[in-house]
Amino acid sequence: MRAETQLTETASPLDVVKPVRPGATAAKKPSILEWIPFAIGVATAVTLAFRGNGYVVQVLTSTAIFVVMACGWNIISGLVGYVSFGQVAFFGLGAYIAAGLIVNFQLPWYLAAAGAGVGAAVVALALGVIMLRLQGIFFALGMFGLARIGQIAATSLETTGGAMGETVPTTGDSLSTALTVIGLACAAVILTWFILRSRFGLQLLATRDDQIAAKGAGVNTQAVKVKAFCISACLAGLAGALYVWNIGYVDPTSAFNGTIELQTILMVLVGGIGTLWGPAVGAVLIALISQVLWARFPMEQQIILGSIVILVVILAPGGLVSILSRFGWACRRPVWAPSTGNTAMQTPVACQAGAVHPDGILRGEGLSKHFGGVAAVDNVDLHTESGKILAIIGPNGAGKSTLFDLLSGFARPTSGKVCFGNRELTGLKPHVVARSGVARTFQTSRLFPSLTIWETVLLASSSLHESRQTAITETTRILAEVGLLNSWPDFPERLSPGQQRLLEIARALALHPRVLLLDEAMAGMTPQEIARVHAVLEHAVAQGCSVVAIEHVLPAIAGLASRAQVLDFGKTIAEGVPAEVLRDPVVIDAYLGVGEQQYGNN
Amino acid sequence: MLHDYVLLTITGLLWGGVYLLMAEGLNLIYGVMKVVNLAHGDFIVAGGLLAVTLFSTHQLSPVTALPIAGVVLLLVGLAVQTGILERLAGSGSQAEIRTLLATFGLSYIVSNVALLLWGGQVQSIPFLEGSVNIGSLAIPENLLVCSLLAFIVAGAVHFWLTQTISGKSVRATAQSELGAAACGLNIKLIRAVTFALGSGMAGAAGAVMIVLIPFQANSGGDLTVQAFTVIALGGLGDYVGAVFAALLLGLTQSFTSYFLGSNAAAATVYLLFIVVLIFRPQGLLGRAGRV
Repeated sequence: MRAETQLTETASPLDVVKPVRPGATAAKKPSILEWIPFAIGVATAVTLAFRGNGYVVQVLTSTAIFVVMACGWNIISGLVGYVSFGQVAFFGLGAYIAAGLIVNFQLPWYLAAAGAGVGAAVVALALGVIMLRLQGIFFALGMFGLARIGQIAATSLETTGGAMGETVPTTGDSLSTALTVIGLACAAVILTWFILRSRFGLQLLATRDDQIAAKGAGVNTQAVKVKAFCISACLAGLAGALYVWNIGYVDPTSAFNGTIELQTILMVLVGGIGTLWGPAVGAVLIALISQVLWARFPMEQQIILGSIVILVVILAPGGLVSILSRFGWACRRPVWAPSTGNTAMQTPVACQAGAVHPDGILRGEGLSKHFGGVAAVDNVDLHTESGKILAIIGPNGAGKSTLFDLLSGFARPTSGKVCFGNRELTGLKPHVVARSGVARTFQTSRLFPSLTIWETVLLASSSLHESRQTAITETTRILAEVGLLNSWPDFPERLSPGQQRLLEIARALALHPRVLLLDEAMAGMTPQEIARVHAVLEHAVAQGCSVVAIEHVLPAIAGLASRAQVLDFGKTIAEGVPAEVLRDPVVIDAYLGVGEQQYGNN
Repeated sequence: MLHDYVLLTITGLLWGGVYLLMAEGLNLIYGVMKVVNLAHGDFIVAGGLLAVTLFSTHQLSPVTALPIAGVVLLLVGLAVQTGILERLAGSGSQAEIRTLLATFGLSYIVSNVALLLWGGQVQSIPFLEGSVNIGSLAIPENLLVCSLLAFIVAGAVHFWLTQTISGKSVRATAQSELGAAACGLNIKLIRAVTFALGSGMAGAAGAVMIVLIPFQANSGGDLTVQAFTVIALGGLGDYVGAVFAALLLGLTQSFTSYFLGSNAAAATVYLLFIVVLIFRPQGLLGRAGRV
């Protein structure tokens, strides 16, 4: 098998293309080219720590603390996309926990730091469950508010020395402090690397790109976000603890210092948000620039830093690493790779669909969904048959997609229930429904811009299979089946619209569905692509999977469907064999618009 | 006791006017551009400190300083919109995050420029220090005047938005940029006008508010969050909702600072903010907003 990666690929519209030939195993190895500068950087830092004077060691220590902060912020704001303006809340919390443990319980510093990290993570767990329901600016400013509340609380509490703060004993040995902090900074970078190489990393990126599609792929997005938030807070807490240990003092203004927040954000932005190397590169660079600025322009320092933020956002929103990525360096590598050899592709693992669960019948009973006074879906009954295709047709606004939302857990029915076999699905979360065997596609294409074709399917597959090998084999098989295996390391935007729909079907199939809900899956496809979808569906149906397909126009599915159900204004108006349903005058009226008066007066 | 409650309620409502003034510019900008200017509070501070300078050097009263501060910040806003925000690439949530980050940087620039120009000390303007007595109730004159000014500005903006062609163009752009462009409106110009106007309102608000709340150069962050709290409570971009939200915030502030002290009152704003975001992200009046 080929073992090299190409480093001179032409620039892609996405900054993170890493071309690797199909079947390559090289992607699993860390790129030497990336780790050599890292090793040199660490070696330089350690050498300086031993050789440098007191000032150099202090600069090193504070830079390394910022690397930790930047990595922490990057995990929640870069990898999950929840930009926070209050990361310093956890920094301050860590600082105070560590100070409290050292002063009141005379704990050694490493236990105090561990306590700060754990404490920050625990608080983040509680806060995250609430705060991560907010998005965008709400989350960002909500976190800012929390940092302010933390500062106010620290000022008011007498036990922590109030506004004046308190002194904390330090080792007095700046060398060991510096080495400890450098070690932690390396650990933070390696942790980020590890996350980006794991299925957890895939889930983070998918959640960042499109939460709804991620849920549909069986990802528990809330759990993923909270986990990332806790890791991020833990790093900030550790950084705060080591900061206190370094300066030997804690007070509300410096522990919850907005400048630390600004610098952290600035570092990650300059380095490259959402990348592996961005935080470290940015932290080192900005820390050095800050030192120079501090010496030359103490008053103007923040003005210059603020200007750098603006310049970076305008000129290089992806940061320095994104510039390198254009030349094929420092790109994110695909998580795992297709299984080598062709055995998996030629002998498909039997679709476990109906074979294992003969009772996999999806049944909607009296489903209604009201939006205000409008009944989008009105008392609709529906059931699937194992190994059969049901077509749902109807004009625009008939309630087809809302019906799918009800069946797949994305919307709660106003009344009625959804059963799957003998299990009730009503009220279950979408990712639970997806994992239990009811998979769906979406009406408008919902792919993840930052995930490769391989990773898109792997995401769904690995949310079902614990075993890495099974997930890889399954993903390989499914990509081969839809004919996309050859372009596995590409990003979805390189695919034609029809291929993108195929990829979405592949993502749904990776969940081993016993019921597959296709929402206008064949819209915009070429005849060849439709033929491919038909072949895929026939294969799935032969394995006992049942399919519910929404189509705006019947012909795309008519040849395959054994039954058709017609919706208009949320109600079932006809049901039966497709050919007969199409001749039904009521259906013809609904499509031609004659029925407007007849059915439109509800 | 009843006397206290009545007084607290009246001052709370008057403070509501001040909050409204603080938040209106931000609301206008959010309504049209769907972005939050994180430097809004710093614009308010700059307007306020400018009024202090005008007062100490030329003995100009805050009422005279108000239009001057307004115009100065209007020009700053125009420069920011055309020089920075209009140049950001991307669309959708990516553009939102980039705007946030850019105005975040801007916030530090403005507050530190203010620090260089005016120093770090807390400043205020002595103005109308008497009080109006209604029966046994004593209401500070300056609060009364500032609150009145705030409601007038709020009313004027509302009138402009709903009753004039230019105001309607702004609202049309707020509801659908594409649709407005299809009707021949110059979207870029409208965005520039809106951002400039919103910034000018922040400057004017600052000139009034510094009479009531002493500022220092780095008070901007808190003011931004307070202003954002008002517009989030009211339902982002909703002008009527913001009035109710501002009054509620004024009452909350006046009661908590009386019963719990000023530290707790400051924390309460943030708590209220987070609680409302979580339970009613569409705002108090419940009109669906984008979250």
